[in-house]
Amino acid sequence: MEGNPGGDAGNGSTVLLIGNPNVGKSMLFNRLTGVNAVVSNYPGTTVDFTRGTLIMHKKTYEIIDVPGTYSLEAKDLAEEVAIKMLNEHRDGVVVVVLDATLIERGMYLLFEVIERGFSLVVALNMMDVAHDKQIAVDARRLQQILGVPVVPMTAISGEGVKDLIDILRKACVTDVMGIKSRLSGDAAETPAISGCTGCGRC
Amino acid sequence: MQRKLSELGFGDTGVVAGIKKSRHDLNCMGVRVGKKLKMITKQPIKGPVVVLIGEAEVAMGLELAEEVMIDVSEPV
Repeated sequence: MEGNPGGDAGNGSTVLLIGNPNVGKSMLFNRLTGVNAVVSNYPGTTVDFTRGTLIMHKKTYEIIDVPGTYSLEAKDLAEEVAIKMLNEHRDGVVVVVLDATLIERGMYLLFEVIERGFSLVVALNMMDVAHDKQIAVDARRLQQILGVPVVPMTAISGEGVKDLIDILRKACVTDVMGIKSRLSGDAAETPAISGCTGCGRC
Repeated sequence: MQRKLSELGFGDTGVVAGIKKSRHDLNCMGVRVGKKLKMITKQPIKGPVVVLIGEAEVAMGLELAEEVMIDVSEPV
């Protein structure tokens, strides 16, 4: 069941979890795969990658948990691992995990991934903490601007994880110029994703 | 008026006016020109500083903090 020739999301079989340190990549990885990656509440817990498998809709995905990084210019060994993993899986799907309470900080890395032309999905993790801190996140608007699926979720409770899995096959490439024109209101919103309820590009 | 970030005291606020060092790790951690920040921890004996930018706390060494210029003239 592996492989999807001519599929819209690369070959769709490798999924990389990329994000800043301490945004919940490993927690999400455990949710997706059932593998018990070490999770702790401080940054820099994952220094090497972990592989796991997810079988969904008769399709097998290899999920790779990557060490957290702030940018794609390596400053330490763990970040080097993250960049190496990205370079080795150029045809894979990248899930950029953002902390919903610190979205702006994660944008830098998100845009670096966008610039490199990866097929991607954005996972807005820690929505529960955002609610607690009374931070409102307009995932639908973010999705319209970015032009890639944005899934609000909470890895620790599992909320939204299924939405994320369902949306993996909708991962797509976006470009910075398009985002810029959508932000300034020059371009019409992408027809494929406008009018959607915010859960994805369906 | 501009001061070095390393010269700010505990609780002081300001706006990032410039970062002198050419190769630095601050942009990707959210410290960029025009961002408001607040000093929330300053360790003694040339220890690191921690600033609050929005909801994010960013720690940096004092040497790096000396390269960050902060506009403190406007109250944030």
